[in-house]
Amino acid sequence: MRAPEYQGSFLGRISIRRNQVMSMEGNHDQELEDLELFQRHIADRFADLLSPQLQTLSEESPSSTAADPLLSISWLRKLLDVFLCCEAEFKAMLIMGRDPSQITKPPLDRLIPEMLDRAVKALDICNAVTNGIETVRHCQKLAEIAVTALDQKPFGDGQVKRAKKALSSLMMAMVGEDKEGSNYSRSWSFGRRSGGAAANHKDRGHLHLRSHTWSISKNWSAAKQIQAMTANLQAPRGGEASGLPSPVYIMSTVIAFVMWTMVAAIPCQERNGLGMHFPVPKQLVWAQSMIALHEKIGEEWKKKEKKGSVGLLDEMQRLERSAQSLIEFADSFQFPAEEERVEEVASQVAEVAETCQKMADGLVPLQLQLREVFHRIVRSRTEILDVLDSTGKVSAPII
Amino acid sequence: MEPPESYGLETIGFESAEKIILRWDSTVSEEAREKMIFEGDRCEVDRYLQAVDEIQRSISSTTISDDDQTKVNSAVQIAMARLEDEFRNILLVHIHAFDIDSLLADLGSSSRTTTGGENSDFLEDDHLEQEEETPTAAAASAFGDGGRSGDLLKHSESSTSAVSSYRSTSSIREIDLIPYETIEDLKSIAERMIAAGYLRECIQVYGSVRKSAVDLNFKRLGVEKLSIGDIQRLEWDALETKIRRWIRAAKVCVRILFASEKKLCEQIFDGVGTAIDDACFMETVKGPAIQLFNFAEAISISRRSPEKLFKILDLHDALVELLPDIEVVFDSKSSDSIRVQAAEILSRLAEAARGILSEFENAVLREPSRVAVPGGTIHPLTRYVMNYISLISDYKQTLIDLIMSKPSTGSRYSGDPSTPDMDFTELEGKTPLALHLIWIIVILQFNLEGKSKHYKDTSLAHLFMMNNVHYIVQKVKGSPELREMIGDDYLKKLTGKFRQAATSYQRATWVKVLYCLRDEGLHVSGGFSSGVSKSALRERFKSFNAMFEEVHRTEATWFIPDSQLREELRISISEKLIPAYRSFLGRFRSHIESGKHPENYIKYSVEDLETAVLDFFEGYSVSQHLRRRSQ
Repeated sequence: MRAPEYQGSFLGRISIRRNQVMSMEGNHDQELEDLELFQRHIADRFADLLSPQLQTLSEESPSSTAADPLLSISWLRKLLDVFLCCEAEFKAMLIMGRDPSQITKPPLDRLIPEMLDRAVKALDICNAVTNGIETVRHCQKLAEIAVTALDQKPFGDGQVKRAKKALSSLMMAMVGEDKEGSNYSRSWSFGRRSGGAAANHKDRGHLHLRSHTWSISKNWSAAKQIQAMTANLQAPRGGEASGLPSPVYIMSTVIAFVMWTMVAAIPCQERNGLGMHFPVPKQLVWAQSMIALHEKIGEEWKKKEKKGSVGLLDEMQRLERSAQSLIEFADSFQFPAEEERVEEVASQVAEVAETCQKMADGLVPLQLQLREVFHRIVRSRTEILDVLDSTGKVSAPII
Repeated sequence: MEPPESYGLETIGFESAEKIILRWDSTVSEEAREKMIFEGDRCEVDRYLQAVDEIQRSISSTTISDDDQTKVNSAVQIAMARLEDEFRNILLVHIHAFDIDSLLADLGSSSRTTTGGENSDFLEDDHLEQEEETPTAAAASAFGDGGRSGDLLKHSESSTSAVSSYRSTSSIREIDLIPYETIEDLKSIAERMIAAGYLRECIQVYGSVRKSAVDLNFKRLGVEKLSIGDIQRLEWDALETKIRRWIRAAKVCVRILFASEKKLCEQIFDGVGTAIDDACFMETVKGPAIQLFNFAEAISISRRSPEKLFKILDLHDALVELLPDIEVVFDSKSSDSIRVQAAEILSRLAEAARGILSEFENAVLREPSRVAVPGGTIHPLTRYVMNYISLISDYKQTLIDLIMSKPSTGSRYSGDPSTPDMDFTELEGKTPLALHLIWIIVILQFNLEGKSKHYKDTSLAHLFMMNNVHYIVQKVKGSPELREMIGDDYLKKLTGKFRQAATSYQRATWVKVLYCLRDEGLHVSGGFSSGVSKSALRERFKSFNAMFEEVHRTEATWFIPDSQLREELRISISEKLIPAYRSFLGRFRSHIESGKHPENYIKYSVEDLETAVLDFFEGYSVSQHLRRRSQ
């Protein structure tokens, strides 16, 4: 890890900044140097995110021990770490020791409000993803039921039925996401009842029994938010490329990429059309790894999108695969089970248990980290707004 | 179904227990599919539960073969699936919407006490059912059993009085979401599911049904699902309404809705296993609670502008008031995140309030309008700022806690000629809030002084300052809170300031007029029995007439809105003008009257001047003034 190294230099730079008497124009060299450093850090950090999964992706073996497979919970946590680092560095570049009037000059008078607008969208995405993690956790609970049931030996009808019921709910939760919120309330153990209490209460049909609903307005769409975040994203050209527009562009790209990845991984409200156009010119060196990641994740998304998948989260994918094969097993189950099948199932159950453990360990920290990202975005936005207000020159309406 | 022969025995044996279980296996029997055990004969309920217990017992029995083990496991699975359905059905039947209005009335009227019996004014308001059934039937079925409503009331009395003993200072008002006897049924199912290792299933069924109930009441309360983006885009007026509604809803949610859900969890799961009640509670309300708080969070991070301050403070106060209740309702480790979020929102709202205040100071300082208000009257900025700080004094209690630092006068604007200087050393002992208010008044005056320079006439500039500072003083005196914070010392300074402006005005306007009435230069030098130069005297009268006429014409269009101040200034003018004119007239009248056309030189009698002064500062329009003069 190179992290500590550039953290050191980064902090050093801040203290230099503070002590510097900044003349209005005389710091262009310093500025260029900062920009170069920022770009190199971005490139390094995303290269780290890209590299470890190269070895693992090719292996189909689910028991791969590679540390952080692409789009696993631990990988997403690294991604959020990267975001937080980039964000801190960016804010230092933009605000610290700077004459406020510099960030109200064209074209920044347009770019900064656009960036703040992206920040608000990112906040909503953070909330939506936090909410989506609850769906993941719900799936984890259902998978745990199956593990509990199938852990008992010997396999009997009872355990298999219980497991199958949980796994069917799990599959429903995975398929039924996106549009109406996950409709994964546990199903009745039998078909629609025609008589009894349910008939008296059929007027309650509108209740849409489900243990999970999206907490955002109905017409909110994660895909549209992402599209809006990238719609006006344009790489600075000419003289602008060496000035402040550059870090603003880089940070906007980072935030759009990170949010896009989170939405692709975690169930979110309305993700149709998420296959994102990522308007980053290929020749930009700092963006190489990000572009490569984007292509990889984009391909995965294309493959899964049609199937109405629950998202690309590695752990969920594993659960989905295991659940499918365990359901097949349950469907064909006859007592007593063949020795061979039992062993096969046992190893699958062990894998599900391992995945559940990863979820149990990782989801809460992931949620906390998302909250941290949320706080950071809020704080930076507030600070930037303060600077703009103090110059009193904001003409463009900022939301 | 035939009545079983073995009913009533202590143990019924595995065989017959299994039979009972299988008879209610809804995957096999049509009849089992049609009926719910817990909606029918109580004997059958008992019989079924006993059968489940019997099966449970056989699991732990050691003398059981592998084959039998499989049979037992299968029976357990069938029984648990059945119990899960029964559990769900009972819960479903008891989803009710609150009568929000009567609950609110309760919260309002007796907010500091937990009351007992009148819990029944939580009416199972069941619109849904009334369409099909008569209201009484609906009410009866709402309690699950026609005969039990009385028991419910009795129970709610006893249960809440127990509660009030340790939460008497809280505003929490739990209500019984499900009648007591039904809870007993739920409890007996939950115990068995948990004993058989079906805890996860139990929690999920419970959570999914109760969450729908919470959602239903959220809709009733008007808790909207708005994204942060939505909220940032809404007009502030619309948001103000939503904030009011949210405060109302949040109180009901925390104190009644969530609190009652928590109580229900405790009633059903208490003693069944550790922390199960808590897991169920969080499964039910975590999502809704986050949804509820998201609104306040979105407001707390919205763009800061002065008009938002007071609603933000309302929101802040409401949360401060709710926080102890939030801490009680969400006291467990697993509800950490909700407590933390509430606290975070609170501190963000506080920060927003501080930010808005400094933003307001900035805006007052920079308010750029250059058009001088006609007649030197009170500038709209003065009115706005003073009304604003009177409102601030209404929120004194909250703001004294929130505003902890002195205004940033020196450091932020140092060396800047566009900001006033202020020395806080003589204001020792004042709260930072008071200093901010004084500072706002200082920068208001500073801005007004800048504006006064836009008047071509310096007299009018002084009059403008006098009017505005006088208005500031009146506003401060009009509000006891404001007066107390600003303090008499600073008020005295302000009073001195507008008096000084009045003096400066008089000097600027009247010195030159009164100068016409001096003796010097009228006497012919030379002979001892000196005479008066008639031509000089005539010039004096002419120039006095012209000047007074001009001042009269101009200053009748000026305006002092405060009648007392207007009166005082006129008296002050008269006190100087009238005696001077009277004595001048007395000394020199004869010289003019002895010549030709005295009326050309003595245009005003003393009475004329006295009357004319009454026109001053009336704010006449020019045409109005001409008309009056021609009468």
